[in-house]
Amino acid sequence: MFGAFRPTNSLGGGLLWKIPWRLSKFQKARQRKRLRAVDVLVATVDKALQRNGGMTTRAVERWKEEMPIEQVMVPKDKYTIFDRKEKGYRKSIRKLPKWTRVSQRLNPPGY
Amino acid sequence: MPKRTQGVLKALGLRHRMTTVFYPVTPEVAGQIMRVKELVSVEEVDRPLSKEELKAERRPDPGFWLEKAAPR
Repeated sequence: MFGAFRPTNSLGGGLLWKIPWRLSKFQKARQRKRLRAVDVLVATVDKALQRNGGMTTRAVERWKEEMPIEQVMVPKDKYTIFDRKEKGYRKSIRKLPKWTRVSQRLNPPGY
Repeated sequence: MPKRTQGVLKALGLRHRMTTVFYPVTPEVAGQIMRVKELVSVEEVDRPLSKEELKAERRPDPGFWLEKAAPR
Protein backbone atom coordinates (compact mmCIF):
# COMPACT_ATOMS: atom_id res chain seq x y z
CA MET A 1 0.00 0.00 0.00
CA PHE A 2 2.52 2.62 1.15
CA GLY A 3 5.60 1.74 -0.87
CA ALA A 4 7.42 -1.48 0.05
CA PHE A 5 5.96 -2.05 3.51
CA ARG A 6 3.01 -4.19 4.48
CA PRO A 7 0.29 -2.36 6.37
CA THR A 8 1.14 -3.35 9.96
CA ASN A 9 -0.39 -3.00 13.36
CA SER A 10 1.75 -0.19 14.73
CA LEU A 11 -0.56 2.55 13.53
CA GLY A 12 0.46 2.14 9.93
CA GLY A 13 3.99 3.32 10.64
CA GLY A 14 5.98 0.59 12.38
CA LEU A 15 7.39 -2.68 11.09
CA LEU A 16 6.09 -5.73 12.87
CA TRP A 17 8.00 -8.68 11.42
CA LYS A 18 8.94 -10.04 14.81
CA ILE A 19 10.13 -13.63 14.96
CA PRO A 20 11.79 -14.73 18.22
CA TRP A 21 15.54 -15.30 18.13
CA ARG A 22 15.17 -18.56 20.01
CA LEU A 23 13.53 -21.72 18.71
CA SER A 24 10.38 -22.80 20.51
CA LYS A 25 10.36 -26.12 22.36
CA PHE A 26 8.35 -27.69 19.53
CA GLN A 27 10.80 -26.47 16.89
CA LYS A 28 13.61 -27.83 19.03
CA ALA A 29 11.87 -31.18 19.32
CA ARG A 30 11.44 -31.35 15.55
CA GLN A 31 15.09 -30.42 15.01
CA ARG A 32 16.19 -33.22 17.33
CA LYS A 33 13.88 -35.61 15.48
CA ARG A 34 15.40 -34.60 12.15
CA LEU A 35 18.95 -35.07 13.42
CA ARG A 36 18.05 -38.49 14.76
CA ALA A 37 16.42 -39.47 11.47
CA VAL A 38 19.64 -38.72 9.60
CA ASP A 39 21.65 -40.68 12.18
CA VAL A 40 19.33 -43.67 11.77
CA LEU A 41 19.60 -43.43 7.99
CA VAL A 42 23.40 -43.42 8.02
CA ALA A 43 23.42 -46.34 10.44
CA THR A 44 21.01 -48.30 8.20
CA VAL A 45 23.05 -47.64 5.08
CA ASP A 46 26.27 -48.60 6.84
CA LYS A 47 24.79 -51.80 8.25
CA ALA A 48 23.28 -52.77 4.90
CA LEU A 49 26.61 -52.29 3.13
CA GLN A 50 28.44 -54.33 5.76
CA ARG A 51 25.92 -57.15 5.60
CA ASN A 52 26.02 -57.38 1.80
CA GLY A 53 29.70 -57.99 1.36
CA GLY A 54 31.58 -55.67 3.73
CA MET A 55 31.43 -52.71 1.32
CA THR A 56 31.98 -49.11 2.37
CA THR A 57 31.61 -45.74 0.72
CA ARG A 58 33.76 -42.68 1.18
CA ALA A 59 30.65 -40.63 1.97
CA VAL A 60 29.59 -42.92 4.80
CA GLU A 61 33.10 -43.23 6.23
CA ARG A 62 33.63 -39.49 6.17
CA TRP A 63 30.32 -38.85 7.87
CA LYS A 64 31.05 -41.35 10.62
CA GLU A 65 34.47 -39.82 11.21
CA GLU A 66 33.55 -36.16 11.23
CA MET A 67 29.93 -35.65 12.24
CA PRO A 68 28.64 -36.11 15.80
CA ILE A 69 25.41 -37.97 16.42
CA GLU A 70 22.46 -36.23 18.01
CA GLN A 71 23.06 -37.85 21.42
CA VAL A 72 26.53 -36.35 21.84
CA MET A 73 25.67 -32.93 20.46
CA VAL A 74 25.39 -30.00 22.82
CA PRO A 75 22.07 -28.08 22.61
CA LYS A 76 24.04 -25.02 21.54
CA ASP A 77 25.18 -26.88 18.43
CA LYS A 78 21.72 -28.25 17.70
CA TYR A 79 19.86 -24.93 17.80
CA THR A 80 22.49 -22.30 16.93
CA ILE A 81 25.25 -21.81 14.38
CA PHE A 82 28.49 -19.84 14.36
CA ASP A 83 28.34 -16.35 12.88
CA ARG A 84 31.32 -14.02 13.01
CA LYS A 85 29.18 -10.88 12.73
CA GLU A 86 26.91 -11.52 15.76
CA LYS A 87 27.54 -10.30 19.28
CA GLY A 88 28.16 -13.72 20.88
CA TYR A 89 29.41 -15.24 17.61
CA ARG A 90 26.31 -17.39 17.49
CA LYS A 91 22.96 -17.03 15.79
CA SER A 92 19.79 -19.08 15.62
CA ILE A 93 20.00 -22.04 13.26
CA ARG A 94 16.66 -21.17 11.67
CA LYS A 95 18.41 -18.24 10.01
CA LEU A 96 20.42 -20.71 7.96
CA PRO A 97 18.72 -21.13 4.57
CA LYS A 98 17.16 -24.59 4.11
CA TRP A 99 18.12 -25.44 7.72
CA THR A 100 15.57 -28.27 7.83
CA ARG A 101 17.11 -29.88 4.74
CA VAL A 102 20.80 -29.31 5.37
CA SER A 103 23.14 -31.03 7.81
CA GLN A 104 24.74 -28.36 9.97
CA ARG A 105 26.36 -29.94 13.03
CA LEU A 106 29.90 -28.63 13.28
CA ASN A 107 31.08 -25.20 14.40
CA PRO A 108 34.57 -23.74 14.91
CA PRO A 109 36.07 -25.04 18.18
CA GLY A 110 35.77 -22.67 21.09
CA TYR A 111 32.84 -20.64 19.75
CA MET B 1 17.58 -27.35 -3.29
CA PRO B 2 20.63 -27.09 -5.57
CA LYS B 3 20.45 -28.64 -9.03
CA ARG B 4 22.87 -31.39 -8.02
CA THR B 5 20.60 -32.59 -5.21
CA GLN B 6 17.55 -32.35 -7.44
CA GLY B 7 19.44 -34.38 -10.01
CA VAL B 8 20.17 -37.11 -7.48
CA LEU B 9 16.49 -37.34 -6.60
CA LYS B 10 15.58 -37.54 -10.26
CA ALA B 11 18.19 -40.24 -10.82
CA LEU B 12 16.77 -42.25 -7.93
CA GLY B 13 13.26 -41.88 -9.38
CA LEU B 14 11.86 -40.00 -6.39
CA ARG B 15 9.38 -37.73 -8.06
CA HIS B 16 6.85 -36.78 -5.40
CA ARG B 17 6.71 -36.98 -1.64
CA MET B 18 6.13 -40.47 -0.21
CA THR B 19 7.38 -42.22 -3.35
CA THR B 20 9.04 -45.55 -2.71
CA VAL B 21 11.80 -46.97 -4.87
CA PHE B 22 13.88 -50.11 -4.56
CA TYR B 23 17.56 -50.44 -5.31
CA PRO B 24 20.19 -53.11 -4.69
CA VAL B 25 22.69 -52.51 -1.91
CA THR B 26 25.74 -51.11 -3.68
CA PRO B 27 28.26 -48.39 -2.81
CA GLU B 28 26.96 -46.31 -5.73
CA VAL B 29 23.41 -46.22 -4.44
CA ALA B 30 24.70 -45.65 -0.91
CA GLY B 31 26.56 -42.58 -2.12
CA GLN B 32 23.43 -41.29 -3.82
CA ILE B 33 21.45 -41.78 -0.63
CA MET B 34 24.12 -39.93 1.34
CA ARG B 35 23.69 -36.96 -1.00
CA VAL B 36 19.99 -36.68 -0.15
CA LYS B 37 20.03 -38.12 3.34
CA GLU B 38 18.07 -35.23 4.85
CA LEU B 39 15.25 -35.75 2.36
CA VAL B 40 14.67 -39.50 2.40
CA SER B 41 14.31 -42.43 4.74
CA VAL B 42 15.89 -45.81 4.04
CA GLU B 43 14.97 -49.36 4.93
CA GLU B 44 16.65 -52.63 4.07
CA VAL B 45 14.23 -55.21 2.66
CA ASP B 46 14.60 -58.70 1.24
CA ARG B 47 12.91 -58.22 -2.09
CA PRO B 48 11.53 -55.25 -4.00
CA LEU B 49 7.77 -54.79 -4.04
CA SER B 50 5.94 -54.18 -7.30
CA LYS B 51 3.66 -51.21 -7.90
CA GLU B 52 0.56 -53.33 -7.21
CA GLU B 53 2.00 -54.61 -3.95
CA LEU B 54 2.79 -51.07 -2.83
CA LYS B 55 -0.76 -49.97 -3.61
CA ALA B 56 -2.16 -53.01 -1.80
CA GLU B 57 -0.17 -52.03 1.30
CA ARG B 58 -1.79 -48.63 1.29
CA ARG B 59 -5.33 -49.85 0.66
CA PRO B 60 -7.34 -50.08 3.87
CA ASP B 61 -9.48 -53.00 4.90
CA PRO B 62 -12.80 -52.73 2.96
CA GLY B 63 -14.81 -53.63 6.05
CA PHE B 64 -17.05 -56.11 4.25
CA TRP B 65 -16.77 -59.35 2.37
CA LEU B 66 -18.87 -60.55 -0.53
CA GLU B 67 -21.20 -63.37 0.43
CA LYS B 68 -22.77 -63.99 -2.95
CA ALA B 69 -22.26 -62.00 -6.14
CA ALA B 70 -25.49 -60.67 -7.63
CA PRO B 71 -26.21 -61.86 -11.21
CA ARG B 72 -25.89 -59.10 -13.77
